[in-house]
Amino acid sequence: MSEKNREGKRTARERMREERAAQQVKDARKKKMIVLGAVLAVLALGAGIGVVVQNNRSTSSTPKAAPAGAIGKKNLVIPDGPANAPSTLTVYEDPRCPACGAFEREFAPTVDQLQDQGKLFGNYHIVSFIDRHDSGKGSKNGANALACAQDSGYFRAYHDVLYRNQPDETVDSWKDKSKLIDLAKQVPGLDSPTFESCVNTNKFGGWVSAVEEDFDKSGYTSTPTVLLNGKPIYPKNGNDEITPDNLVKWVNEANQGKQLGATGSASASPAPTSTAAETDPNQPPASPAP
Amino acid sequence: MAGSEQVAWRRFAVATPWISTVVRLGLAVVWAWAGLAKISDPAVAAQAVRAYRILPEALVKPVGYGLPFLEVALAVLLVIGLGVRIVAVISAILLLTFIAAIASTWARGIAIDCGCFGGGGAVAASQTQYLQEILRDIGFLLLALWLVVKPRSKASVDAWLAV
Repeated sequence: MSEKNREGKRTARERMREERAAQQVKDARKKKMIVLGAVLAVLALGAGIGVVVQNNRSTSSTPKAAPAGAIGKKNLVIPDGPANAPSTLTVYEDPRCPACGAFEREFAPTVDQLQDQGKLFGNYHIVSFIDRHDSGKGSKNGANALACAQDSGYFRAYHDVLYRNQPDETVDSWKDKSKLIDLAKQVPGLDSPTFESCVNTNKFGGWVSAVEEDFDKSGYTSTPTVLLNGKPIYPKNGNDEITPDNLVKWVNEANQGKQLGATGSASASPAPTSTAAETDPNQPPASPAP
Repeated sequence: MAGSEQVAWRRFAVATPWISTVVRLGLAVVWAWAGLAKISDPAVAAQAVRAYRILPEALVKPVGYGLPFLEVALAVLLVIGLGVRIVAVISAILLLTFIAAIASTWARGIAIDCGCFGGGGAVAASQTQYLQEILRDIGFLLLALWLVVKPRSKASVDAWLAV
């Protein structure tokens, strides 16, 4: 065998080995690309399906049914008192929120009085986010029951009863709907088969979700959020602490020189004022209340 | 001594795929837990995203609805062990995004629950747990980074495919 021949054989063998190695690298890379593609496809498909599925499952933010007399965009707000009163009190409240209970127990008589004197128009946003934090159903059931009471024309009276009998925040008493129906017995005329079925079937559940979503988007993050003519006044209005006396003073100041609205008890009938514009700037407060 | 060092090193090399297996399954549990906790209520998931006040309203729902499924998909891929390195890279990017979002919320003085494992939304200022949330996510990030460096593990599709 000549030198030359031997050399040729060696290089041929080497070339083959190199080619095989190159092929292996190519195959490995191809396999890796396939795996990468599969991974990305699974993730994209998963997320895409998720968006479609959840979109179908979530309730529309425009409710099919709203309680009679609800006002504002999409009828999410419950009015109380005369719509033609010169000042508007906007209240965001969760039935399970202890601070809301404290606010109502202290201020409900004053607010009711101001409304009955034609000085104040109440706009109630019935929020239900405590269920999310403490887990449970009491906020949503309570909000639905309030909507049912509004539908029957007894919002104010039932609202006052509810907050006077509020359980501790962490105790989800109102997951039991019969407790809400029991409380309705304290409002003469409210408890009826219509009201009971409204509470039991969660008739305004979609409306409750829509009100909550509207609150989520409002930029207000706590309840009670209380606005007088669009300006936050709870727990403070500027430097002044809110008290029943101060509330009366602020309303009178705001109403100076203005025509008062209709007088009389608004709790007797639902206010069918769907044309009334809601005074709600829907703007986040400069600094969220604690 | 060089000899015992060598032995230790060999032992570590043998143990690594097993450690990676545990890490892989651990991270899978984290993603599955995070995803499943958020799937049940789409409205809450969307609100958890909205509460960060980072994304415009048009993106709140797609992210709120899609993210939990993405997390579950990552969990599935980790359980079967397909494309572990790329899944780990995506996990790390996602976790860094979460950490950045929580930090930004903290810095802006917004009081929310991170909604990392369900829930979410506004809480009282005294109820925020930003530091714990960030430290927890850093822990998960370390798991992901381990898998970026050492993706080979036992009982995985990757091993079966020999990629």
